[in-house]
Amino acid sequence: MPQSPSLSASGSASPGLARILFRRSEIGLVVALLAVILFFALASDTFLTVRNLTNVLGQASLAMIAGVGVAIVFISGEVDVSVGSLVAAVAIPLITVMNATESLALGIAAALALGLCVGIVNGFLAAYLGINSLITTLGTLFILRGGVYLYTGQKAIPDDVMLESFFQLGNGRLFEVVPYPALIAFALLLVFAYVMRHRTFGRKVYAVGGNPEVARLAGYDVKRVKFTCFIISSLLATVSGILLASRLGSAVHVAGLGFEFQVVAAVVLGGVSLSGGVGSLFGAALGVLILSFLSNGLGMLDLATEWQLVITGFIIIAAVGFDEWKRRQP
Amino acid sequence: MRKLLIGLLATSAVAVMVTGSAFAEKMPKKVGYVVNYATHEWYQNVIKGMKDRAAQLGFEVEVKDANLDAAKQIAAAEDFMSQGVDVLIITPVNEDAVVPLLRRAKQENMPIVLEGNPVKGMTTLVAICDYDTGYHAGVEAGKYAKEHLGGKAKVMNVGLPLLSATVLRSNGFMDGIKTEVPDAVMVHDLDGGGNPDRSFEVSAAALAQNGDVNVIYGINDSSSLGGLQAWKAAGKSQDDLLVVGTGGEGLAFINAIEKEPSYKIEAAMFPEKVGFTAIDAAVKLYNKEEVPSWIVSPTTPMLGDGWKKYYSVDGNVRTINWDAVNAVKAPDKCMKTAADLKK
Amino acid sequence: MTTDTLPARKRGVSLSALTDNSQIVLIGLLAVLCIGISLAAPQFYSPDNAIAILRQCALVLIVAVGMTMLLVAGEVDLSVGASLAFTGCVAMDVTNRTHSVVLGALAALAFSGAVGLFNGLVVTRLKINSLIATIATMMILQGGVYLYTREAVQNHHLLDAFTAIGAGYVGPVPIPVIIAAVIFAVGYVTLRFTLFGRYLYAVGANLRAARLSGLRAERLKLLAFVITGLLVGVAGLILASLMNAGQPTAGRGFELTVIAAVILGGTSLAGGRGTLFGTLLGVLVLKIVDNGIIILRWNQDLQMVVPGLVIILATWLDIVRRRNDAR
Repeated sequence: MPQSPSLSASGSASPGLARILFRRSEIGLVVALLAVILFFALASDTFLTVRNLTNVLGQASLAMIAGVGVAIVFISGEVDVSVGSLVAAVAIPLITVMNATESLALGIAAALALGLCVGIVNGFLAAYLGINSLITTLGTLFILRGGVYLYTGQKAIPDDVMLESFFQLGNGRLFEVVPYPALIAFALLLVFAYVMRHRTFGRKVYAVGGNPEVARLAGYDVKRVKFTCFIISSLLATVSGILLASRLGSAVHVAGLGFEFQVVAAVVLGGVSLSGGVGSLFGAALGVLILSFLSNGLGMLDLATEWQLVITGFIIIAAVGFDEWKRRQP
Repeated sequence: MRKLLIGLLATSAVAVMVTGSAFAEKMPKKVGYVVNYATHEWYQNVIKGMKDRAAQLGFEVEVKDANLDAAKQIAAAEDFMSQGVDVLIITPVNEDAVVPLLRRAKQENMPIVLEGNPVKGMTTLVAICDYDTGYHAGVEAGKYAKEHLGGKAKVMNVGLPLLSATVLRSNGFMDGIKTEVPDAVMVHDLDGGGNPDRSFEVSAAALAQNGDVNVIYGINDSSSLGGLQAWKAAGKSQDDLLVVGTGGEGLAFINAIEKEPSYKIEAAMFPEKVGFTAIDAAVKLYNKEEVPSWIVSPTTPMLGDGWKKYYSVDGNVRTINWDAVNAVKAPDKCMKTAADLKK
Repeated sequence: MTTDTLPARKRGVSLSALTDNSQIVLIGLLAVLCIGISLAAPQFYSPDNAIAILRQCALVLIVAVGMTMLLVAGEVDLSVGASLAFTGCVAMDVTNRTHSVVLGALAALAFSGAVGLFNGLVVTRLKINSLIATIATMMILQGGVYLYTREAVQNHHLLDAFTAIGAGYVGPVPIPVIIAAVIFAVGYVTLRFTLFGRYLYAVGANLRAARLSGLRAERLKLLAFVITGLLVGVAGLILASLMNAGQPTAGRGFELTVIAAVILGGTSLAGGRGTLFGTLLGVLVLKIVDNGIIILRWNQDLQMVVPGLVIILATWLDIVRRRNDAR
């Protein structure tokens, strides 16, 4: 059973920017990310441009936002794979309400409402009824996707009102440089990283995931903590879904197919353990960035999809294997 | 092998140069193609046609694969734009999902050729007519049914309701077959997912429910073959059966026509020609020439050995006969399009 | 994820408890389904349809036997779908080249066995969580199969024996069903009555205790991965024969069907608990639901929604039942 890192989390108040941002386990990831960037910078002359780097940040932000939520669920000792269908499902209330009311705010509210419902269902089934969370969320993954197909008749729902604000949300850039999705992702990452590291709730999540028995003895309401984690995860995936809908300009029934694999792989790559209680949100974010830069860079090298799949697979094995090996060292 | 291919390309290049009007035009340096699903045989051959044509005209086509992921498609197009290609060609994963992308491309003056289906705000589209393809194959199937199947047509449609293009093919097939056999019926309307194992599974269940079928129509080759395999696995004889495939995507249909007695009609869609036409359209856009908003790429039903006119096979490589394919006339307008489905 | 392992542990170690009544729920469900569907559509009970269902079940069941062993040992393999497609291509290609069904079959088994070995080594030696490790293998295989062949590998050898593997019959029974039955019987005996089976339960129920009592847990898990791999090879061979081609695009989502069936059959994802009889029932329920939706001519999109609901429901009923047992 891994040690609960909550103790070290509260004790790491030593100065130094690097130390504040990243703990030791994350330095390996930063090095890996820099290595990936360096490799592609040397291999392709179009990789290391401001335009391309900011592009990748924008592209990574969807997986990063959902990844923060999934990582929190992982840390609490549960799993959430329903996010792949959820990002497609929330676009339906978003677009239909927007088409009906011409209000972005109402559309977003409707999307968040659906996300909240899904989170409540997942959380209730997994935390309170005690159904294994992989099964629960695999079930909701199927149900939501099937529901989207049934509701839309397997057609995309186009955005008829074409609000400029909605277009800008996923496609615009601050000062024509930084994509808005990247800013939103970074802001959410900072907020939740702060919560997980410095608030009681974060400590509870680590404790519940690290050792539920001890957490229970310490007086934490284990079920409620897990329930909350599922709601956070669904709401964050909803934000990803809203940004995706803006980038796609419609509610696309096939959006997000396989997104759950992408997010889970990135989060685990970032050192968040599936067995609970271990990992950090910065690690998860770094995992997402590594995979995004890898995918972008391999594309720049004009490598076909099949090679990209093979290389990404081996890199996941190598990276997670290395991480596990490091963890076993005294 | 490679030399042989280059040789073939060179000869076909000469043939094309004569017909093409590309001499006076400025050539782009690099054209980017974001394909929706590169591992599919159909798109493999579209890409082949593009690369052939671009090689003839002396420039480069670079391909990025969205792998059926709408979000990845946008990312790939973004990457191309920041890499600085001269023209983008896109086969949308979903038509509605590229509307914002077209808007951004317009802001950056990036010309875009679409392949597949029309999209709001597009400049030009290269596409086959899906309805017409199904329709003409349907007419031929009707004639065959009159001659060999006693004038009856009970159709199992191994379809794919997910895409408007494939729905159009199925509708066209039924409308076409009814021109010859007015009381033709669709006994089963299935979702075979466009892949062979799923098609097999749903066809097996459907045939068990009601095996009184004498025509199997597949919206692509995998679907028709999956349906046929289910027929064979149910222990039925192919004597009074007609199988009609669509696409002519690779070697699978050639193999089936050669070996399966019931596989008689293939609606050829010439993916290579689609790629060829898309590159020509890209060159025109680059030169800021007027292009029609809808460029139709030809299709035609091939009966029995008819495929040999358009393709030759050497081992595992099939080679297109450009002369024959370029001679197939395309209609100016499709009989029906996706817009008609929404009505 | 592991909050309810305590009662499970007890159950897993004491073999007498393995034949618990968890299957009653499933048998009831199965009966309700069969009766309901055949009342609504009499064709459901036709021999043709029964054979179609059994053949579909065979493919899933063969792989599910291995997957049950893996889950019992506390591991999982998500690469089986991608491996299924790749193996089918290998089988067809080698048979084409050698004109020998035996060599084709051996090549398929060797390939899929090697994939299982690779998964097993990555999980037991590199200590990577099997969910992640096999997602990675899945990606490698999906990419790899297209590097191996761009097109479906066609049947050029036209050997009858090859076609018989998937499409042949012995009397009225399709050969794949016989193969599945044999594999199921062997698997059942192995899991239930051999030391290997008992050890798998012990390792899955409590890894540390199993290690302390001298079991070589890593080797047992490795073996379970290899067995699963080999069974994928058998299924891939059958699929290639059925499709009359090696299809690189086949097997999408197959892994989820298999895992869903196993879990539905009462095997715990946490390890240490589950039976092959339950898996058989799980496979039947899922495939009958699938078939029923087509027979009843319902919207095929329901083929996604219904299994999701069924799995959650069955798991929940199982939990309720176990709680009542514990009282």
